[in-house]
Amino acid sequence: MKKAVSLLLVSILMLTMLAACGKDSKDDPKPADTGKETTEKTTTPEETTAGGEELKGKVVFLTNRTDMVGKEYKEYKERFEEKYPGVTIEFEGILDYEKNSKIRIATGKFPDVMLIGPGIPNSDFPKYFAPLDDIQFTGDISFKTLKAFENKMYGVSSGSSTVGIVYNKKAFEKAGITAVPKTLDEFYAAAQKLKDAGIVPLASNFKDKWPLDAWIYDVPTMIGGVSDHQNKRADSDAPYTLDGVYGQSWSILRTLYEKGLLEKDVNSTNWENSKKDVAQGKFGMYLLGNWVINQVIENGAASEDVGFFPFPSDNSGTVKAPLNPDWFYAVNKDGNVAAAKAFVKWMIEESGFEDFAGLIPTLKDKESKLAQLAEFNGYNPQYIEAGPPNDTATAIANQAQIDQGRVVQEFVLSKDPQSILDKYNKLWANAKKNVVK
Amino acid sequence: MLSRLPFGTQKKIIIISFVALPLLLLLTFSYYPALELIRLSFTNWDGMSPDKDWIGFRNYEEVFSNPEIFGVFKHNVAYFVVGIVQNIVAIYFAIVLNGKLKGRYFFRLLLFLPYILNGVAVAYTFGYVFDTTNGSLNFLLGKLGLGSETSWLGTESFVNYTLASIGFWRFMGFNMVIYLAALQSIPSDLYEAASIDGANNWQKFRFITLPNIYKIIELNLFLTVTGALEVFDLPFVLTNGGPAGASETFVMKIIETAFQFNNYGLASAMSVVLLISVVLVLSIQRYFLKGRG
Repeated sequence: MKKAVSLLLVSILMLTMLAACGKDSKDDPKPADTGKETTEKTTTPEETTAGGEELKGKVVFLTNRTDMVGKEYKEYKERFEEKYPGVTIEFEGILDYEKNSKIRIATGKFPDVMLIGPGIPNSDFPKYFAPLDDIQFTGDISFKTLKAFENKMYGVSSGSSTVGIVYNKKAFEKAGITAVPKTLDEFYAAAQKLKDAGIVPLASNFKDKWPLDAWIYDVPTMIGGVSDHQNKRADSDAPYTLDGVYGQSWSILRTLYEKGLLEKDVNSTNWENSKKDVAQGKFGMYLLGNWVINQVIENGAASEDVGFFPFPSDNSGTVKAPLNPDWFYAVNKDGNVAAAKAFVKWMIEESGFEDFAGLIPTLKDKESKLAQLAEFNGYNPQYIEAGPPNDTATAIANQAQIDQGRVVQEFVLSKDPQSILDKYNKLWANAKKNVVK
Repeated sequence: MLSRLPFGTQKKIIIISFVALPLLLLLTFSYYPALELIRLSFTNWDGMSPDKDWIGFRNYEEVFSNPEIFGVFKHNVAYFVVGIVQNIVAIYFAIVLNGKLKGRYFFRLLLFLPYILNGVAVAYTFGYVFDTTNGSLNFLLGKLGLGSETSWLGTESFVNYTLASIGFWRFMGFNMVIYLAALQSIPSDLYEAASIDGANNWQKFRFITLPNIYKIIELNLFLTVTGALEVFDLPFVLTNGGPAGASETFVMKIIETAFQFNNYGLASAMSVVLLISVVLVLSIQRYFLKGRG
């Protein structure tokens, strides 16, 4: 009897504890659960009365722009909810989006509107997301086929960006450069002039690796004139050669390094400080995407002092520029699909997000409000639109554990760049044997 | 209601209910993830897909056969070397500050303070110290006429020592405080007796102090060794593994494998290997120190 009483007591204790533990996790799926109900409600009338449906329920947008939560998003929320009175929109900001969103998706319960980057293979889209082909945009949009699988579009680009030279006009003036360089030789000459004037010509931010991405993805695109060089690696046993697009691109960086046209010590660079230095004219140029323009202005440069021109990758005189997508909006297939789609359409067409973020609008006939983009387009660059990534090439690179940022670093610092290429080609070939069977 | 039960039963109930909560937390947040880690290390999970295929020991084969993975352990040697120097200096300071020095509480506090600071904040601060062009260290050396062009974080041969020296600054005070506590527990009559017998300071240190703090030295070495094997925040913030991978540590490699190359299975196997290496190095250390204690 006594034993039974104590047993009972203990089990009650355990139960209450378990309940306490479970409470948090029980709260979490609630939005998704209610979301499900509302989609069922909203999709049924949608089928009967095409077009004029009442959108209802809650839409949660998981965003990477934590800086906009409670500020710009608050205003977005008001404007959106005014247009669609039945819908409540919620913004949830998380840091380190790529990693954390993956974890959320893996749990099976994730917000209605997500951002997707390069991390998720296209073939996985139908497992998680709803096709977005039925959103009626007012005009043609960029990157329709990039996040598509089996002819269905699962992601809408939130804006595009291009890559070129962001420069400080005051610094160029001080160095006596009157016209922006149109060929590679002119570029080297201009950089030398900057150096002679005591200005660091090109801020590479070499140490941080990611600013070297332009040399991996974009300069090869400009050199080759096609954007699929990363995918083409899958067909080759030796994708990294000196006379190939990568070798050519990285050799330009190596030349700049050898001539002392980068920071004084490339292994000791500071990204946050470099923005201030470019703004103040201590550093002359960046080779980065147009997104950096706003950040340079935020760090104290006057908008009219910051210019943007296409990077001349050769001596031909015609300039090319890649057109790269930013994050893509995707819609959770188990969420509040109809309202989420309306939100995506609204973000693209009416929010004004791309001007705020300094991106090129997704709608092809919409003009950007950024002065620097107008200057850039004034040089008539030939735009090369990025294509869908190839899962095989990514799989091989992952299997071989090739971090291309590090390859560039080694290539530039090494006494014998060919040996670095040989080393990574060997890794590539071995991994390719395992992946492609 | 409880008071009506016999004393023995009451005791049992109290013990069980008090122990159950921490046990439950320990199991859910420590043992379950650890077991899950070991399970994942035998799969090829990519971090997202619902299916995890069992691939046996293939991940472990990869860890040991790929020099790119296992080779980074040699970067940790610098942290060992500096860690041992750090312990010697800590003992020295502990003995000095255990004596009748003026302002010793102030100095103790001064040496211990760095330990309280957050690791990433420390790394950021030292980023400004070691910066080649604008750094305070090069500025100071330049003023002293010793050359102000040294790339502290960009030279492959000593970048790890540069990083380890920050660890030295940060953890020396912590080691010192532990030694200090041990020193204070040594009865002073031992020293008095030794003085009467005519022992000098070095003899007192060797035959009284050292044997008495032997267990504590062991503990501090344990902390140093695990710290050296698992160092992560300093290189991650300051060099990002550079220049060209010269300061990449094993933990950074694990993170890269998991989150950049999407190979959670292999990364789990690497974590398990790290766990085993820690146990291994510690057993070796214990084996060598045991005979003398």
